[in-house]
Amino acid sequence: MTIATAAHPRKPGFTKLALLHLLPSLLLGALPPAVHAQFGAGYGPPLQVEPAAREFATGDEHYAWLLQQAKGGTQHTQESVPRWDGLWDTAGNTHMDLFVDGGLAGGTVRTGVLTPAYEVAFRERWRQQQEEGQVRYDRLSHCEPAGMPRWLLEPYSHEFVNLPQQSYLINDFANAIRRVYIGQEHKNLYGTHSWMGDTVGFWDNDKLVMHTKYLLPADFTRWSPMTSNLFEAVESWQLKHYGDGIDRLEVQVTFYDPHAFTKPLNAVYAFKHATALQEAGHRPQHWECEQSSNSYLDENGFTNFRLPGEEGYKDPRGSTLFPELPGQTRDPIYNTTLTTE
Amino acid sequence: MKKNKVVIRLLCAFSLAAVAGVAVAHHSFSMFDRETQQVITGTVARWAFNNPHSWLYLNVKNEDGSGETLWSFEGAAPPQLIGRGITGNSFKPGDTLTLMYCPLADGRQGGAMGWVKVDDTTFLIPSDGGCRTDEATVTRWKEWLGKGIRSNKDAAL
Repeated sequence: MTIATAAHPRKPGFTKLALLHLLPSLLLGALPPAVHAQFGAGYGPPLQVEPAAREFATGDEHYAWLLQQAKGGTQHTQESVPRWDGLWDTAGNTHMDLFVDGGLAGGTVRTGVLTPAYEVAFRERWRQQQEEGQVRYDRLSHCEPAGMPRWLLEPYSHEFVNLPQQSYLINDFANAIRRVYIGQEHKNLYGTHSWMGDTVGFWDNDKLVMHTKYLLPADFTRWSPMTSNLFEAVESWQLKHYGDGIDRLEVQVTFYDPHAFTKPLNAVYAFKHATALQEAGHRPQHWECEQSSNSYLDENGFTNFRLPGEEGYKDPRGSTLFPELPGQTRDPIYNTTLTTE
Repeated sequence: MKKNKVVIRLLCAFSLAAVAGVAVAHHSFSMFDRETQQVITGTVARWAFNNPHSWLYLNVKNEDGSGETLWSFEGAAPPQLIGRGITGNSFKPGDTLTLMYCPLADGRQGGAMGWVKVDDTTFLIPSDGGCRTDEATVTRWKEWLGKGIRSNKDAAL
């Protein structure tokens, strides 16, 4: 069998690079499906959760304690601030271990992790996943942003830009950007919450410690519980080097949510260099879902599609609102039309 | 040169292993019959390499000879496909292709793509979680295609 790939430039170190990729491939092949579902698992050594040093009632309290321990944090300059350049993609997480014993395929809901109301809601989602093979609907299908904390899981490509006073954590899932304000206090002038919330942070040498709150209620993923409008996250980001070229950006997180969780939860998420994407020349593009997605929630509560020719179908490669003008097609290279009759 | 060919195949193996197990999507796959795999041949009307999902549209000759019908097939998101060597120029309007898909459960003309056969030896895998496909799937299907089988249900008989 031949699988066509993009041309890879021949250059020194290419063979070594490729072999480094083979190891995770073999590991992936040996892992059960539940692990596969953790978005890039199998790269580098197993992820280890580092729980908070002690219990805190709130994320605010936790973050304040960490800031105190770091004596106000490291004041980096443009020259000293850690650089996480290039494209990244997900490298696994321990996310589902928070809520399920046994993984995505055949696992069972852990008791006592969620408050009663949130556990009942989650058990219905989990029943759909196990009995029907899929949770019936995902809010992203009608173009809601992934938002935080789902941002940590979305397996599109990522870019991370660190400056002394601010960090930008970017996922190209519909242009999802987290802004981290270094050395500042929380602010919220909008009188409501938002998809990414408000994030402040400080550097503890090469660790970026962050606190996020003022988040809209949502869900982690289709397979995960809901989170409430009291959800907070305290994160510690650090680039770790494991030798043989394996670099992994690891995010130790403590989640707080008195509405949803019976106690704070700890997990780890990770990212690795997106070497294949980078070699292929991938550049993240701005995209939105409103004009390019035809999935919807049908009358039976399931996800469905509108196909070309059906009422409500949106053509992402059709023309603008001004088709009478030349040059208004969104398919400028091939200029295709879809004929349904 | 030979060494690098081997390496490229290894990279492909990595890419396939990495994508085959990951149900990456912004929507549920509940609309697909993921237990059924069928093969269809048609002419490319459009390859929409768009986020959040790619779509391949084929004009397929009707079995009764009455003309053609437009069929729609969903694939994974461009960032996943670029890592597998698939780009917005991989399928061009007018190309004749054979592909394997998991059909829409309600019987409309469409489904989730598994593999696409570009020529006698080249298969691309634009699949997402709607029609899980890996190298082993393609190998199995090559054998079935040689026997004239067009559905995994027929192969099971």
